[in-house]
Amino acid sequence: MTDQSHPVVSARGLTKRYRDVLAADGVEFELEPGTITGFLGPNGAGKTTILRMLLGLVQPTVGEALVVGHRYLELEQPARRVGAVLESDDFDPGRSARNHLRALALAIGASRGRVQEMLELVELEASANRLVRTYSLGMRQRLGLAAALLGEPELLLLDEPANGLDPAGVHWLRGFLRRFADQGGTVLIASHVLAEIAQTVDQVVIIDGGRLIATVRLDELADSPHSLEGLYLELTAKASA
Amino acid sequence: MKALFRAELLKQRTTRTMLQLPLWMVGLVVLVVLLHVVGFSVHDLGSRDYQLKVFGWGTGVGSLFAALLGALSITGEIRHGTIRPTFLATPRRERVIAAKVAASAFGGLALGLLAEALAAAVSSAGLAVRGVHVALSGGDFVQLLAGGAVGAALWAAIGTGIGAVVRNQVGAVVGLCVWLLVIETSLIGSVSSVAKFAPGASAGALAGAIQAQGATNLLAPALGALLLVVYASLATAAGSIAITRRDVT
Repeated sequence: MTDQSHPVVSARGLTKRYRDVLAADGVEFELEPGTITGFLGPNGAGKTTILRMLLGLVQPTVGEALVVGHRYLELEQPARRVGAVLESDDFDPGRSARNHLRALALAIGASRGRVQEMLELVELEASANRLVRTYSLGMRQRLGLAAALLGEPELLLLDEPANGLDPAGVHWLRGFLRRFADQGGTVLIASHVLAEIAQTVDQVVIIDGGRLIATVRLDELADSPHSLEGLYLELTAKASA
Repeated sequence: MKALFRAELLKQRTTRTMLQLPLWMVGLVVLVVLLHVVGFSVHDLGSRDYQLKVFGWGTGVGSLFAALLGALSITGEIRHGTIRPTFLATPRRERVIAAKVAASAFGGLALGLLAEALAAAVSSAGLAVRGVHVALSGGDFVQLLAGGAVGAALWAAIGTGIGAVVRNQVGAVVGLCVWLLVIETSLIGSVSSVAKFAPGASAGALAGAIQAQGATNLLAPALGALLLVVYASLATAAGSIAITRRDVT
């Protein structure tokens, strides 16, 4: 899918200042193709701001964010390279799931057949014509994922994608992401649910207070999820001390 | 651009709020026109100026609802968060604004035509019931309908631009209503020499509609059209700049 020699995501000194708050402070990391990376940090650590900078929604004060080798704003057909779910509820409640996807499909040049395929993939085809206001949180998460996948991207950026999913849904999501990565896709998942992350990811990027505090490969770590938890707590406690 | 335009049209016809807009507009046109037909004396109603004022309410209300359509097309996305997927699909935000302006103008054209046609029908029927002869010519009707439609289309662009600058849905909707229904109508009554250059009055001039007492000196239709194009361009440019510079959080 991607040129193996280049990182798929490259955060270069990403800094964002909102008046007197530093939401991100010189964050540097790279993601290799075919990997799943957990993006960890306490609430307010800056995960959301960094994801938005990677996607061109928020302009960095200093630094540069590259996805698939380019600034997002410079990508010719960004949705064909990068898919993202940033919030669980970015829908007009008075519009049906199918129409939400159709409007996005028109904007990115995806076919109606692709809309149907994605509805089937996330198991929403039976309720696709219902208004989103009738959807549960888990259904909204799956609809968001369907929207992110419309353009057949090679990179997925997901913010708390398992939030609201039932255990079967979480299991499905894990399997899906694993297959996605095995086919060469790259995933960055922001989450604060460590146990969930530990079972899915190849590495974690940990930030706190807007700063990168560690990048850890899970195969370098002892093999139980507790060790990730221990490391995470130790690092974030040290960072805020 | 064509695909983006189609995407915006699809968005407009697939939400509840947008579909309710024409219904509210129809209700308001009927109400306002009937109040005037009932409220004026038979003597007043007989004059061409008064009739232009009554018939012309379609243009005013049509312009207002077209502006709301435009404003909702952007503030609705900001309110519901769909602006994020929209800008991920099309990161060049000025293209999104351009597509929204085009789609809203298209919808606004239809709203303006519907409002003025309805106003003309209800006014004619009302006048007939009160036994008043319609003093307007065929040319007047053509100007009311065409001017009402084009004026509303341009107001839709103004509404889109203002929505992109204001961002807050309630703020944009209330602001547009207050401007068109309160501020401009009172200005045109008090300082018409200046107020006739305002965007609402320009739409009135384009349609040949007399909007308030004492405002018989509206601009020439062509000048009204030109001014309205200038206002629409300025609003679109301002909205485009504002939305491009601001972070989407």
